[in-house]
Amino acid sequence: MKETLKVHFQFSPMAIRILLLSLCLSNNLYASSSAVASSSQTATHTNNWAVLVCTSRFWFNYRHMANTLSLYRTVKRLGIPDERIILMLADDMACNARNKYPAQVFNNENHRLNLYGDNVEVDYRGYEVTVENFLRVLTGRHETAVPRSKRLLSDEGSHILLYMTGHGGEEFLKFQDSEELQSHDLADAVKQMKEKGRFKELLIMVDTCQAATLFSQLHSPGVLAIGSSLKGENSYSHHLDSDVGVSVVDRFTFYTLAFFERLNMYDNASLNSLFSSYNPSLLMSTAYYRTDLFPRRLEQVPVTNFFGSVMETIHTDRPYRARKRKESQDRIRMPLKEAVQDNQQRRLSDPEIEVRRVRAPEDSIGRTWNSLQNKMKIFEYPETFVYYGLVMMLPLLAVSTWLYS
Amino acid sequence: MAPKETPKMKQRPIVRLGILIISHSVVVSVICCISGVVALLLLPILAKNTYISENALMPGSANPMLSDQDVGEANKLVNALLDLKSEPISSGRVSTLVAEFISDLGAEVGYHKFYPESNQFHPLHFFSLPDSGSLQENVNCSMYGINVIGIARAPQGDGKEAVVLVTPYNSENADLSDALSIGLTYSVFSLLTQVTWLAKDIIWLVADSRYGEYSSVSAWLRDYQRPVFGASLILDSDTCDGGSRPYDLDNFMTCGKLIDNFKRAGTMAAALVVKVTEKSEPFVDTLNLYSEASNGQMPNLDLINIVNYLAVHRQGLHVKVKKLIPLLNAKWLNVLADILETVGVIVRRLNPQWKFGIPAAEYIDGTATLASSLYYQALGIPTGPHGAFRDYQVDAVTLEFSPYSLRKGRHKEFLLRGSRLIEGVIRSVNNLLEKFHQSFFLYLLTSPGRFVSVGVYMIPFILLVAPLPVMAASLYMNIFDFGPNTETGQLAVSPRSVTWLDAAKMVLIVHFWGSIVSLLPYCICQMDFSTPTMNLAIWSMLSALCFLLLCLVLGLHFNQTEKAKWVVLKSATLSAVFIGLCLMSVVNFATAEIGALLLVPLCLMIHPLKINPNMGTLVNFSRMALNFILLSMAFPPVSFFLLRGAVYGFHGIDIGDFWMWVESLWAWNSATYLYITMIHLPCWVLCLHILLHAR
Repeated sequence: MKETLKVHFQFSPMAIRILLLSLCLSNNLYASSSAVASSSQTATHTNNWAVLVCTSRFWFNYRHMANTLSLYRTVKRLGIPDERIILMLADDMACNARNKYPAQVFNNENHRLNLYGDNVEVDYRGYEVTVENFLRVLTGRHETAVPRSKRLLSDEGSHILLYMTGHGGEEFLKFQDSEELQSHDLADAVKQMKEKGRFKELLIMVDTCQAATLFSQLHSPGVLAIGSSLKGENSYSHHLDSDVGVSVVDRFTFYTLAFFERLNMYDNASLNSLFSSYNPSLLMSTAYYRTDLFPRRLEQVPVTNFFGSVMETIHTDRPYRARKRKESQDRIRMPLKEAVQDNQQRRLSDPEIEVRRVRAPEDSIGRTWNSLQNKMKIFEYPETFVYYGLVMMLPLLAVSTWLYS
Repeated sequence: MAPKETPKMKQRPIVRLGILIISHSVVVSVICCISGVVALLLLPILAKNTYISENALMPGSANPMLSDQDVGEANKLVNALLDLKSEPISSGRVSTLVAEFISDLGAEVGYHKFYPESNQFHPLHFFSLPDSGSLQENVNCSMYGINVIGIARAPQGDGKEAVVLVTPYNSENADLSDALSIGLTYSVFSLLTQVTWLAKDIIWLVADSRYGEYSSVSAWLRDYQRPVFGASLILDSDTCDGGSRPYDLDNFMTCGKLIDNFKRAGTMAAALVVKVTEKSEPFVDTLNLYSEASNGQMPNLDLINIVNYLAVHRQGLHVKVKKLIPLLNAKWLNVLADILETVGVIVRRLNPQWKFGIPAAEYIDGTATLASSLYYQALGIPTGPHGAFRDYQVDAVTLEFSPYSLRKGRHKEFLLRGSRLIEGVIRSVNNLLEKFHQSFFLYLLTSPGRFVSVGVYMIPFILLVAPLPVMAASLYMNIFDFGPNTETGQLAVSPRSVTWLDAAKMVLIVHFWGSIVSLLPYCICQMDFSTPTMNLAIWSMLSALCFLLLCLVLGLHFNQTEKAKWVVLKSATLSAVFIGLCLMSVVNFATAEIGALLLVPLCLMIHPLKINPNMGTLVNFSRMALNFILLSMAFPPVSFFLLRGAVYGFHGIDIGDFWMWVESLWAWNSATYLYITMIHLPCWVLCLHILLHAR
């Protein structure tokens, strides 16, 4: 009896140690991913979402739907999957009786690209596009019956692109010709999202008249906003399709699309290059961006961080093996390093920035790895420790059997 | 007055202002009247350029799709119609031919048989819609017309709305221009049966205009808007089935099928009446726009805007609206235009920001158009078949094309331009989401591209009528405050209220007489006198008789001698005129405006024919002369002949013309007729009464 007790006694510290070890490991792993929830500085960018909203109805607002659908195609092409795109279209131009090309929507008079072709998943359509539903999508306060496909299921590691187009004015955006979203409504929704950890970074892109005024109330960190026009300015349509009989695209969106047309998923053009590509004389308005809430420098942020689904990936040779992670930090793949072939202007010329960008993730992730490493050093290879323990158990077992016998 | 009564109590500023105005009533009246007339003359300068107010319309944003092929088809129809003309019996054939062409396009075809309604005086039908019930009373069964209706359904539309194209066609007296108007509409219609972008159905009405363009369209509209069910329908068809039918419409219709098959589409969004006239214009194809409907109602300005915009900027047509041509050569207008131009130049020199003044030629043109616009609105008679649509709140306008030459070779070119214009207008209206509502309904045109909105043209009217209550109040107060000092003190005998009541009674009785006068033509129509002059004579005699009878029965005395009496009567008259004009301005503004121009100076100036010893002889005589002139000018027949003479010259004037004119007013249910007999004439009689006052 006493012996067994002893044996147990001898075993228990080891078991506790092993337990402790595993606990520590899991804790560390958990902490590295979710302890960040408290501050965006340490969160990892894990996924991308896009909310694309066309707020105006009626045939003569054809271009707003075309704008939104064009953006939809772009973000899809750049890698955001359909289930992570919330597409809200306030009217159905494709099936409008006035449409000369039934069930087709074009954003250019050359009619080369039918935006309303296959695989367009409209999540909110027609009269579903209301201020209420829009705010519900942002804040995630849905009624229970709303399916998952209509929800913005983002988390604290999400980068969200919020694109809105329609008719706006000073500090408001008109929805459906009957109600309006005011700048403080938007700011309030964004704040709620922030507090609920629904995004890491949020890019709000608005193509309306006086779009800049819509951002005036925003004050949540991590938000980057860009509007097509300043206060007192109008946003204009780009061109008229005299075949369909309506304007088919807005200037701001047209030049945004022109920028993305030359990019693919692996290009590392920065947001700054996008923003500086807007030419006020072509736009006939001044694009405005609000960066004071955004923590990173625009030169360091690739557009695909919002418009695509490209994020830093961590390569591991074997899954679930924590031991190997030590090496993995050297191998973090930096898609940014890949050079842009086509456009000189878009290439990031400053090598210093390049370096800093490479190092930047090291600062945040590396720290966690270091702490994990330190904790593991206490045990100096836990596996051998366990093996030694087991080997030592053998003579003990032999001694105890010998004593009994 | 006020300081005397309440010397200590301080009155509110508005009251003091009112008292100040009333105490200076003469100055106020003179200033207001003059500025009213000046403001009226300034309207062409204050006119604004028209603009498309409704976003949805987007005129000209789409390229016309109408091709030479459509025009070629239309030309075939034109030639076929011209061939028919040579045949002896063609009236029924025309309907069949057009119907065949329409059904070949794959559109629905229908016929509408109607019995033309003779215009008649319905004293109780003012402001009411034509009633289908009253139709059967006076139809002639042997006289009927047949409208052909083609309907192109919108392939993806919901069928709730429609746009109407109307082509009046008189098969008995048709020529090339009429055939061209059919061809023009046909080419558009044939295109519209093929396009995919229609959201509203297209109804093409080929109106049989043998009995007048208006009556055929209004008959069709009446039947369209008021479906007849069951028994009454059979009764209606029975009434006239016995009548001999001069021709048979092949196998397309029988009488019963005809009514059952009344083709309908949705509610009408707009209507375009298409006509081609022979009167050719030099050098350019011209488009005349007619838009006045009954009682000065106008279609929404947006409709005129899109037609004007597309015609001028897309098809290069010369657009015209009606003008009073004689005004263009009027001396006084030329002088005025030059003065205003100079003023404009000076103003611009003072401050380049002020955009005042327009070139003299433009001013003269604008004034002539404005005068015509005012006149036709005041008349209250629709200027074309589009007027029938306005009765159902459908915006409609008549497009009258006048090609500069109708030579054979130019047909196609003209057809192409004209039908592309119509296509553009229809495509624009097709884009519309609701009824026309954005732009103005109350406006006067000074050119096809310039208008004076209600907010501006109200000003002259308000300035003109504003002195009326001021003067009335001033007269009423003066007589009791200052009257006893100047007069002999008789006023003390008759208390204020009694004098006032007498005057009010007088005014009411005269207005009552006015309403009797307005009903007299109904009786005169029942008796059948031949000449208009005779009718007019009987009308005036009966009116005079009625007046005498009323005076005898109700005991009006003409021999009151006190000053107070006539002053109070004038005060009451002024109030009556004010109320009457304001009421009329709501019904038909243009009538009220012209009426105010005639009545207000008269009512303000009117004074008994007696010599005031306090004033000089010259003043007395000039006042008398002025009274006479104003009074005679304001008498409705005289003002009619004066206006007519000023516009068309004084030769060949017949007294009977006035009767004809009045007859046309009541036949079209114009509110102007009511205004003349129930407001203008009584007020004139009251003024006459004051003038003939003994002392």
